[in-house]
Amino acid sequence: MAARSENMKGFYRQRKKSGVTKKPLQPSSSSNKSPKHSPTFGSDVTHAPALLSHGSPDLKDEYDESEEVLRQFDLNMAYGPCLGMTRQARWERARRLGLNPPYEIERLLKAGKVEPQCLWDGRV
Amino acid sequence: MEPMEIDPEKALQRKQATYSSLDDNFEIQKETYRGQQYSQIYFARLHLMRTLLYSLVPNRKPHLPVCTILQLEEGKECIIVGTLFKHMKLKPCVLDEYSKERSATPLVRPHNFMHTDDNLVLEDDSGRVKLAGSVLLPSAYVTGIVVALHGKETDAGDFLVQDVLEAGLPPQIELPLKSSEDKYVVFVSGLSVGSSTSNPLHFQLLVDHITGHLGDEKEQGIAAKIVHFVVAGDSIEIPRGLLNGQNLASKDQSRLSEPIKELDILLTQIAASLPLDIMPGPNDPANFSLPQQPLHRCLFPGSSAYNTFRSCTNPHCFELDNIRFLGTSGQNVNDLEKYSEAKDKIEFMERTLRWRHLAPTAPNTLGCYPFTDRDPFFIESCPHVYFVGNQNEYKTDLIKGSEGQFVRLICIPQFCTTGIAVVLNLRNLECHTLSFGTEFISS
Repeated sequence: MAARSENMKGFYRQRKKSGVTKKPLQPSSSSNKSPKHSPTFGSDVTHAPALLSHGSPDLKDEYDESEEVLRQFDLNMAYGPCLGMTRQARWERARRLGLNPPYEIERLLKAGKVEPQCLWDGRV
Repeated sequence: MEPMEIDPEKALQRKQATYSSLDDNFEIQKETYRGQQYSQIYFARLHLMRTLLYSLVPNRKPHLPVCTILQLEEGKECIIVGTLFKHMKLKPCVLDEYSKERSATPLVRPHNFMHTDDNLVLEDDSGRVKLAGSVLLPSAYVTGIVVALHGKETDAGDFLVQDVLEAGLPPQIELPLKSSEDKYVVFVSGLSVGSSTSNPLHFQLLVDHITGHLGDEKEQGIAAKIVHFVVAGDSIEIPRGLLNGQNLASKDQSRLSEPIKELDILLTQIAASLPLDIMPGPNDPANFSLPQQPLHRCLFPGSSAYNTFRSCTNPHCFELDNIRFLGTSGQNVNDLEKYSEAKDKIEFMERTLRWRHLAPTAPNTLGCYPFTDRDPFFIESCPHVYFVGNQNEYKTDLIKGSEGQFVRLICIPQFCTTGIAVVLNLRNLECHTLSFGTEFISS
């Protein structure tokens, strides 16, 4: 999905492959029941494809590490579907259902300056 | 003429029972719709029931490993937990309109969509697998139930089911010590005030009987033992023929509200003498999707003045003298009847209790609010009395659970067609009927 044709290289800012192979926030303590599913398995599915509508490129494809972390949270199947809920609401639901979502996510969400909706919001 | 004197010693006192409403789960005032889809409620349901089933499995099948669907290996016996999906050939699908080939489909019987080719699929959040074998009969199951299955994967890629583990009846709070006095609860359903089939005299007779205006002292003594009255849905029938897209004339507007006014007059008579609960039904002026919200108090200006009048949700859960009641206006069981089969409605009711879910077909074929973080139809605590309204006939049964639970199941018939109300004795949970007729018996 991140493949771009040769003549587009100059058009877009080059992006470092973040090399995400595993969800980086598995809770390390064994007392927590951490979710077993990690379906992304190294794919860069969180890198949203460039949208070309009406000839103008979507230039909102730059995002930082915290957004990457939040996108991995969105895609984690253990916490249920992400569409139709704010990330904060989904985190709270996971908390309430006893799924022990990492506090790091909540910290990032509360810090502000991150997208409150999931990565599919507005795209699906 | 001297006014009739009431002898205070001889005046009958109505018995009373302590009432508490447990409808908080079914209220949706606090919910906000943010564009969520039904996947959220299915996730909540799966998570809730899977946690429950994982805790039950070690007791029933201690030596078998539990795995997710994606972790299935061929030939390895294990237990998987997921939501059942029943693929039904005859179920009307919106995509049929767009299919290019219009093959000759068999005539769809509107009351039941079953077919011998129906097959079951189990789905959890990792994947889905087709179910094979003769242990799990598709005719008894519907989409939306969460079960644990013991079996193994075949080389064809199906899952051969060897055993089904349902959640079973939920834990029940022990029934309080048996009291010595009889106290009755009257259930009625399908009054359909305002419809051509309802006879106003039948309901008036019922009201007169329970308020003690009929009969001699012995009869009145029995009526004085009635402590609660429950109306389980479909209380009015609005003349929908008037709503034809044109502006309503003022004459038609008053005709539209006549049934509700008539119902209010009758309910006022009841509310003046004993506590009354009214639940909305499929034809009542309430929202369509479950859980239906209480009928608005402004519809009942007369009866809502009494604090004995309670407008309740559908489904409705309450406690009388610590005996737990749970009931619906019939939508859950009627929908099950369309997509599965059973010996009678009581068997459908028993199944919903053993699956621990009031309305498993919601939201698939039964309208439902898209909850995000909970499934209010999950039955946590086993009721002592479980009733379903708007049925064709009166039926009742007492079922027992594996841990000593017992539940009185009641199918309340439609009053407009049968003239039957159901009376339950709180002392021993036995039921009998009250039937009203107005034909002249020809000699």
